[in-house]
Amino acid sequence: MSQPLVATADLVKTYELGGETIHAVDGVSLTIENGEFVAIMGASGSGKSTFMNMIGCLDVPTSGIVEIDGIPTSDMSGDDLADLRNRKIGFVFQQFNLLARTTAVDNVAVPLIYAGKGGEERRDLATQKLIAMGLGDRLANSPAKLSGGQQQRVAIARALVTEPLMLLADEPTGALDTRTSEDIMQIFQQLNDDGITVILVTHEDEIADHAKRKIIFRDGKVIEDSIVTNRRIAAPEVAA
Amino acid sequence: MKKSLGSRLSAWLVNISIAMTALRTNLMRSILTTLGVMIGVFAVTLAVGVGSGAQVSVMESINSLGSNMALIFPQPDSEGGRSTFERGRLTTRDARAIEREIDGVSDIAPQLRASITLISSGNTASTSAIGATPAYGRVSNVTAQEGRFITDADVRTAARVVVLGTSVAENLFGDFNPIGEQVRINRIPFKIIGILESKGSSFGNDNDDVAVIPISTVRQRFVGDTLAGPDDLHILFVGFQDGVQLSTAKREMTDLLRDRYKVRGRDGNPFTIRTTEEFMEETGQVTGIFQTVLVAIASISLLVGGIGIMNIMLVSVTERTREIGLRMALGAKKSDIRNQFLVEAAVLCVIGGAMGLLLAIAAGAALTAYANFPVPIGMGVSIGAIIFSALVGLIFGGWPAVRASRLSPIEALRTE
Repeated sequence: MSQPLVATADLVKTYELGGETIHAVDGVSLTIENGEFVAIMGASGSGKSTFMNMIGCLDVPTSGIVEIDGIPTSDMSGDDLADLRNRKIGFVFQQFNLLARTTAVDNVAVPLIYAGKGGEERRDLATQKLIAMGLGDRLANSPAKLSGGQQQRVAIARALVTEPLMLLADEPTGALDTRTSEDIMQIFQQLNDDGITVILVTHEDEIADHAKRKIIFRDGKVIEDSIVTNRRIAAPEVAA
Repeated sequence: MKKSLGSRLSAWLVNISIAMTALRTNLMRSILTTLGVMIGVFAVTLAVGVGSGAQVSVMESINSLGSNMALIFPQPDSEGGRSTFERGRLTTRDARAIEREIDGVSDIAPQLRASITLISSGNTASTSAIGATPAYGRVSNVTAQEGRFITDADVRTAARVVVLGTSVAENLFGDFNPIGEQVRINRIPFKIIGILESKGSSFGNDNDDVAVIPISTVRQRFVGDTLAGPDDLHILFVGFQDGVQLSTAKREMTDLLRDRYKVRGRDGNPFTIRTTEEFMEETGQVTGIFQTVLVAIASISLLVGGIGIMNIMLVSVTERTREIGLRMALGAKKSDIRNQFLVEAAVLCVIGGAMGLLLAIAAGAALTAYANFPVPIGMGVSIGAIIFSALVGLIFGGWPAVRASRLSPIEALRTE
């Protein structure tokens, strides 16, 4: 029952670059339980994003084990991994990665296409998530007609639409101003309170302080794994 | 986890809508790419139409001769043997022998042909005269639409009467009804007794540019001194009853005539026999080759159009690598990505194909109306053109689509 949501054992990822072997992730073993809020930190090149991509089943480890919800992923085919991502993992990216010239509803509905849901169900579920994100009046807007914060909220709605177990957010506030970042962090905290595991990659201490646990990478290894003391609680938006 | 039919259908509809968005995004590029397929499908469809038009046209003109008949010419035929006759022979007596001795003969229509010039009240027309008997009308389905056709009495008395084809009548008299009028043929006065039923034209050849005159009159007045014998013929039509095997009849007639001309062993004949069956077969082959060549040439433009599709799909895949990565991250399988780009290529091609088809139908109609050449583009060809366009999309979009589906999600996502 108490099986971890994410478990890695001796996880390694190496690249060949100009005849030199780069150890991007160098033997990382850790577990993340259901309901955690984890910030993965580290300088650029520390291996935090590569680690994130591997537990998100986007990238394949050179060696070592990744288990998601108790399922080992090393022997899974590309299509099985796609299915796993679709059902269990929601992604939030720094650059939002919304489809241009596509309405908010249609953007949010994309994962449901690959879940095999029908058109009407897709629209209904996507609309629900957008309303929950406070975008009920922006359903038919294309990304070009939305602010950065609104775009990231569409992206979060998209990540949530298949009811995944965890959210993986790679520098989700990297393209946003401080005020908007605070809004987004509030959403993440709220979602975590509702029971979703949140794992975010950031290099900003202020953002990481919103999490409950902080894991710091350097040179492909975990150098610190600690509970966040003095956790920041994102303030509700004040009238500007 | 098996997907239901509904969700499969829905997935294809989604792909079509994704494709339409992508095509609208690069509208000018899409239009230019489509143009290639449009021209290709236009050329191929029109080639098919022209080819079958030629076939129809030739078959019609063969049918206008009469459906089940043989033509015998006094031309030496050394097929499969030695040439022995310098000059061909075919006489009225041969015709009668055929009528008497060959089974299944329904009519014999001996003929003489002559070039004639008709003059009436200052108008002149040159045409070819068919010196015939009433049987010619029966064998070749030729009738008078006004007045009357020639009769046995006309032939017996070598009457100076003529039945004009509609073109000749028009050239000489315009709208005026000439029946009963006098006309001078090669300076000899004739009486116009009828106008032939129009037979249209085939292959630019006007079937109504003729005049029918009793065979005896033609022999006496126009060609008598050029013939080898007093009852020689230029051509003999032999009509057969329905169901007669023409190849068998041809063999029997050949044997009979060889016997009459005392041709032995492997020697050639002083006559040539052709049947409508052979004409059909030969022209079927010729027009078949004609159509194949046309379609082959036209296919080159479709090939070029297809390569254009492949080119633009490769560009599209490269441009949208990040989108592909995103879709994979959100759960798209290889087949989802592949199908998305296949559908995009197919949609592009089907739009081009539909436009090409419409253009071909319009061009075919124009050719039929103004060039008097039938270009039938039927439902079958139309559906075929659309299906074929989709196939072009699937074939030439296949490689780019498979390439897209093989991208690694993380590599694709990292692309700027």
